[in-house]
Amino acid sequence: MSRLKTLAMNWIPLLPFLILCLAIMILPLFFMLRGSFTGSNGEFTLEHYAKMRAPIYAVSFKNSILLSGLTAILGVILGTVIGYFIFQLISKRSKELMTALCDVTSNFSGAPLAFAFIIVLGSNGVLTLALQKYLSWEIYPTFSIYSFWGLVLAYTYFQLPLMVLLIIPAIAGLKREWREAAYGMGANSHQYWRYVGIPVLTPAILSGLLLLFANSFGAFATAYTLTEFRYPLVTLQLGFLLTGEVFRDPGAGDAMGILTLIMMGISILFYQLAARRGRKWQQ
Amino acid sequence: MAAMKKKYSFLTGIVIGSFLFYMLLPIVATYVFSIATRWDRTILPEGLTLEWYKVAFADDWFFIVFKNSLVLSISTVLVSVIIIVPTAYWVHLRNPKARPLFDLISIIPFAIPGVVLALGLIRLYAHPPLMIGRTPAMLVAAYVIFTMPFMYRPVINSLEAVNIRVLTEAAQSLGSSWLRTITQVILPNILPGMLNGGLLVFAIIFGEFTIATFLVGARFKTFPMQLVYFTRRDGRIASAYTVISFTIAWVSSLIILWVVTWGAKRTSMRNTQHTKGLFAGDVVEQK
Repeated sequence: MSRLKTLAMNWIPLLPFLILCLAIMILPLFFMLRGSFTGSNGEFTLEHYAKMRAPIYAVSFKNSILLSGLTAILGVILGTVIGYFIFQLISKRSKELMTALCDVTSNFSGAPLAFAFIIVLGSNGVLTLALQKYLSWEIYPTFSIYSFWGLVLAYTYFQLPLMVLLIIPAIAGLKREWREAAYGMGANSHQYWRYVGIPVLTPAILSGLLLLFANSFGAFATAYTLTEFRYPLVTLQLGFLLTGEVFRDPGAGDAMGILTLIMMGISILFYQLAARRGRKWQQ
Repeated sequence: MAAMKKKYSFLTGIVIGSFLFYMLLPIVATYVFSIATRWDRTILPEGLTLEWYKVAFADDWFFIVFKNSLVLSISTVLVSVIIIVPTAYWVHLRNPKARPLFDLISIIPFAIPGVVLALGLIRLYAHPPLMIGRTPAMLVAAYVIFTMPFMYRPVINSLEAVNIRVLTEAAQSLGSSWLRTITQVILPNILPGMLNGGLLVFAIIFGEFTIATFLVGARFKTFPMQLVYFTRRDGRIASAYTVISFTIAWVSSLIILWVVTWGAKRTSMRNTQHTKGLFAGDVVEQK
């Protein structure tokens, strides 16, 4: 009896939180999963997943994966290089200023960021006009901020500083003694990076890749402000199904939602595992 | 050697310079655009004006959407503090066996995009007999879950940083009541974490567009919704809204940075005091 009482005492204060999680997170996702396998007469079906092969859904997934993959790779490569140069800065103050800038800008996303990019690179944008006048370079119509490459540029804006923030602690974890030991044993710079530097940075690079992928795969507001529903992306397609009071094709929405959750879930899970491994070096 | 150093700093200049150009140009351009009379025909603005802010403020909708976003952010922070902070405390101190489960739950929201969360909530709660899916209250509940990692993590971190268990036991063995232990020992120690989490949640929700659009939409218009509306109607007013959004975002980020540094200083100071106190105690006992 008293053991039961202790058990209750341990768990009752956690109930409000657990109930909220259940109501807002677990139940809706469970019903989404169920809905994705339920036909119009309540029978079990795979037809909603089969619909995903239709061009509009298939293209959305292809575009989302391309956009997220490309901006994640760009963010990781450029972020690692920039993080390395920031770390090498001699003045402590400029180092702090650069990390503060990354911290602030990694939070700039969504509608305001998209609109800032329209001001800079829209068809009458500040940079568009400057390039035209000073370099006689007409970027339109080859480039458009409302197209795939425009989205790449806008997404990289919030990916890059996030990667810099992720990689700097890892670079700081590369101990000076390791480098000295490597060089002392006759290693050259190439060998040092090949056998010490890169392997130590690998968990941070991998976790960065996964986090950045998930970060852009789930993004909605930036793409919506730039393209409304014109450019096929998974999140935009889901949003399109949700507009209006009457739900258009709920089964397809459920199936797309579940596929999105699977992709995001795998990325976030492996991100956590890689990040945990990376932290080992940073202590 | 000197030549190498020069080459190295040239490369640094190029890399850092391009990075700064890319990161700062959109922000600076938006601030200037919002006070430019016209800036779509010439390289430099044709003139400066505060007209677009005047036009934005003259519209009643500006205050309605600003107030709505403020109400949503503040309510979310309050509910978060009431539900998540005690949970983090309890899990850390009283029920450590549940800690892995809660750590896992706290990262799930990272894997749920706003639009998917909105889809799930509407499908479950927005048709008869349950018609609560499209209310601001439901939106706040969704926001508390959506931003949970940003509140849970900093609070757990500050609980770990100060060894709250020892402090609680010390306070109680000295005869402190529960209320006094909470208000004078626990709360001051987790304050940096709570402030950090609260500000982060505030900033995220003030700028949140997706869930709000799909859950409540025009019934409860928020600041970002109005911003997006103006990007399609009037770029000048949209730029004023964008500047206000940016300003709120960077001011919150800077306050958070400041709070984090302040919190770290406080705990490290306290830790050194502790060690000092411990050593002093040892010396006294040996005597």
